[in-house]
Amino acid sequence: MKLSVNEVIGLAARAARGAGAPPAQAAAFGRAAMFHLAAERAEGTLTAALEALPRGPILTLPLAFIRVLTEECSDTPLPPDVATALVQSYAEAQTFLTTLHPEGPQMQITVDRKSASPGPAISRITMSEDLFTFLNHLAARILVPESEASRIGGAGAGLTDND
Amino acid sequence: MRDEAQPPQTALRPPEEVMRLARMGSMFPTRLSFLRNLIRRLAAEKVTVTRAVWQMDAGGFGHAVYSLRLGGHEYALVAVSSNLPADQRTDRVIATAWDSAFVLYDGIPEAAEIDRIVASAPRQEAARFTERDLILSRANKSLRLFAHVTQALQEGRQPDPEMIRDVGYLMRTTAVYGNGKFGIADRHLIARRPGLEGPFAAEMLTVWLIRHFTHDLAEHVGGGRLDRALKRHLGIGNATGLGMAPFLVTHPVLLHNWMQARETALARVRALPRLTSAQQDRLHLLAARAAAHLREWQVPDPAHHARIVALRGDWEAACNTLDLSGLRPLDAAMHRVRAASLDVQELMAALILEPFGDLVDDLAATMGDPFGPLCAPLPDTVELRARIARDFRWALVPDYDAPEACGQFWYVSAAKQEPRLGRRFAEEGADQETPLDIGRRVKALYQDLEGENAPLSDFLSRHPDHALAAERVAMAGRYPYGEIRDNLIAEDCLPIDMLRCKLAFFGAAKFDPKSDRWTRITLCQGAPLADELGPGADDWWLPVFAS
Repeated sequence: MKLSVNEVIGLAARAARGAGAPPAQAAAFGRAAMFHLAAERAEGTLTAALEALPRGPILTLPLAFIRVLTEECSDTPLPPDVATALVQSYAEAQTFLTTLHPEGPQMQITVDRKSASPGPAISRITMSEDLFTFLNHLAARILVPESEASRIGGAGAGLTDND
Repeated sequence: MRDEAQPPQTALRPPEEVMRLARMGSMFPTRLSFLRNLIRRLAAEKVTVTRAVWQMDAGGFGHAVYSLRLGGHEYALVAVSSNLPADQRTDRVIATAWDSAFVLYDGIPEAAEIDRIVASAPRQEAARFTERDLILSRANKSLRLFAHVTQALQEGRQPDPEMIRDVGYLMRTTAVYGNGKFGIADRHLIARRPGLEGPFAAEMLTVWLIRHFTHDLAEHVGGGRLDRALKRHLGIGNATGLGMAPFLVTHPVLLHNWMQARETALARVRALPRLTSAQQDRLHLLAARAAAHLREWQVPDPAHHARIVALRGDWEAACNTLDLSGLRPLDAAMHRVRAASLDVQELMAALILEPFGDLVDDLAATMGDPFGPLCAPLPDTVELRARIARDFRWALVPDYDAPEACGQFWYVSAAKQEPRLGRRFAEEGADQETPLDIGRRVKALYQDLEGENAPLSDFLSRHPDHALAAERVAMAGRYPYGEIRDNLIAEDCLPIDMLRCKLAFFGAAKFDPKSDRWTRITLCQGAPLADELGPGADDWWLPVFAS
């Protein structure tokens, strides 16, 4: 199925939250998932990352980019269980222009703090029905059934607005 | 970077003064509001609106297509009018049917595309759209005014001006969706197009065209022409609820850019050493217009009505002491109202920007956010704690365990996945709380930072739940107006203040709160009609009936 860029970012972020990721890491995963799918990388990488919560790359990958951005190091060892494709997706999702260079068992990350990332350049992203269903299943965990109290307080709170 | 020298300016009002909910909830539209900016652009390009399709039956049910060319691109509004049973007419976001539905289309739609939109637009969230569909919206009639206007026209007379003044619109929108919702185009696809670069520009263009459609529809059903002055005063209504409020929290860069542009504009006019007599006359005229606007601003809610009544009196007093003849007269004007209500202060701020487009209009170009936050994380826990102490003192004050400081929680409802606000101690769902509790999170981070001396990545590997707060603290250095400096889960937090701030940036007026969680407003009232996009098209700040 085809989705807008913003739909993919939002759905993946909500799924990550539903799977147990804290909000900032979930938002980072949402952007990375969009770049991942836009580049037609393997969907299974995203599924595995979500299934690994509350551990795994959704928590550890942002730390690698923080280490580079705070100039702790420019060569950063990446967790051994993280797929290179997902690292690439996280790099593309950074707001600063970020590039990756394989250096043996390590991956060198370079951040250009004077340049913004070009952002997405596409209009539609293809996602399988299976992944769409899986993400929606996780995302539904953070939805709350409306209560009578919230209905009373909502916009257009009258039963009808025939005025 | 701009090459030209920037105009002189006074110091900006600091974020700790500006970014308080009560002040944000007192804002008025200014000449930097998005609708004003759009109309200036339409007028500069002498845009012509063409009604290419009008297939309506005698009752006004059918569809229409309007087109225009802006910034080298063609756009079309496809409008679908349906016969809605009265028992289905609700402003609530969970509605499933509306009087009319709209799509702003990228280009001029072929017949097959019109057919697709006519079939899908009335279904709104239940349908899927394409990247050619830029904006999706719907509106319900103001039944009493629509019926009155069409009946009057059918009887060969003009409608009652007082009724037009009091209601102000023939229809009100209940949602205006952009940026990829339900498959429509993502914002980045049009963000660099001339005329649509500004925040919500495509949404504002849609709203202005919908207003045009409502005029045509009433004239079609009524079989007569409305007087131009009456028509100009018929804006487009809007009913807005909690769905809009979290945006200001989840888009700190945009919020900063909007606020900084407005505050910079204010600082520029306050630095003017003297005013010409023509400028003084213009400001006095506008101050009187604002007073007349306040007199015409009628709302049924007793508390808000009392607030408007108080503002009328306070504004008159402020105008009586408005001396524009001295040195730095606009700085003096702002100082003079410092002891007055926030409503008076913010109205004065909006007023003194109005005559100085040459000085401030360029700032509208700084109000977008094409990149997202461009700031690095803070390097270590020591720096992080120091920044919290410097920039987030407001967040450290509340005792977030006290019921009054955490009595509300934000969540996303299962119904249409819309933001909602619950009572923490009376409703279920707090375990799925949406993270708009920035103040509480920053204080929790601050407390856990005590005694720490470690790189940020090391700290966050042990405390992953603090990552959001650490991000916000880092952002505050570069985007100081990006954070609402109040506790958004407090028992006394009023979401209506967030709504008013955002809607004032849109250009809304005549706020008509129905509770502390939703409001009706009027957009485009007094704005030029489609055939009035020429000189003078920008003079509609706080419009007054028939002025």
